[in-house]
Amino acid sequence: MARPVFGRSGAATDAVPRLAHFDRDRPIVEAAKRDPARFDALYRRYLAQVYSYAYYELGDHHAAEDATERTFLSALANLGRFEERARPADGEGASTFRVWLFRIARNVVLNERRSMRRHPAEPLADEAAAVLADPLDVEGRTVRNEAALAAWHAVGRLPGDRRRAVVLRFVDEMSTAEIAGVLGKTEGAVRVLIHRALRSVAKDLGGR
Amino acid sequence: MTLPGRDGTEVDALVTDRYLDQLLGGDPGGREARLDDAVRAASRRLSADLPRFHPSFRFEERLALRLAETAAAMRLPLAAGSESHVVRIPVVPGFDPLGVVPDDEPREAAPADLWRGAVRGAVAASALSLAGAAWYAWRHRPIASPMARAARAAHATRRA
Repeated sequence: MARPVFGRSGAATDAVPRLAHFDRDRPIVEAAKRDPARFDALYRRYLAQVYSYAYYELGDHHAAEDATERTFLSALANLGRFEERARPADGEGASTFRVWLFRIARNVVLNERRSMRRHPAEPLADEAAAVLADPLDVEGRTVRNEAALAAWHAVGRLPGDRRRAVVLRFVDEMSTAEIAGVLGKTEGAVRVLIHRALRSVAKDLGGR
Repeated sequence: MTLPGRDGTEVDALVTDRYLDQLLGGDPGGREARLDDAVRAASRRLSADLPRFHPSFRFEERLALRLAETAAAMRLPLAAGSESHVVRIPVVPGFDPLGVVPDDEPREAAPADLWRGAVRGAVAASALSLAGAAWYAWRHRPIASPMARAARAAHATRRA
């Protein structure tokens, strides 16, 4: 069962050595290329982010787990094909590995969605409602759950790329440049997607 | 604010993006005075209320074990000096995780696309109108030959 975690993940505030590398994951990725057992560090760093993305897209924790598993197994098997493409303009916290990993996740999730449509199970978001309303959730105060549920539904009603862009920006805390890399769009297009998504969400949440 | 080469939406989107950088960087106040109030409120709500999910610890450890086994399988042939290795990964036939998988939802039409569609529609409609006018003119062209006039009169009599 998925566990909701509130508050910022801290990814943006992680200590990143100044001017050491353009890509914060470079040392671990290079180590994992030499010794695949070192991939575990990358897995632990990005597990929750990939799982959250999959869960927002699929609304089912079994499907999100499947997608997460396929994503990391594919990333490990194809790590030799990964090429770092960080530029100084990407900033010191940038990770092209994370972009590469999320491109795999996006593909795996799209594939999973097709498969779910062919074999439909329960309606999306019902399970999320159950998770968010879980009385055993340590931080699950009722008011907060209602707010979280309203936000979840508002994001769930957005069309494909707007929804993905919002989830990557707010939940996975990616920069516009990273989201552009994941979705295969320009940074300008991503900015417009997010801006329009926020206008839709404002209308949606304003009415309740 | 106007920037050369950018339309209003792009400028608004840039302002929103700058505000989000501040908000998600830990500055909930933000200093973007030009930002639409509704967008500012929605940004704050999503930033505060959107939950992040973590899978169960059981799943986390099970997948960690699976990855460790896969890594070990990859390392053995490398250690033995082999140039290639076989790793069993759950594979969906015809699916490349690194390929370009098309979106499964209809693509949003950009304003430029809408213009292009409207122009194409107008061109198609004009072409149809021109074709219709040409057909009408051909059908009602004056007939010079007496033989053709007689044939058309006979045909009209038969239809009547």
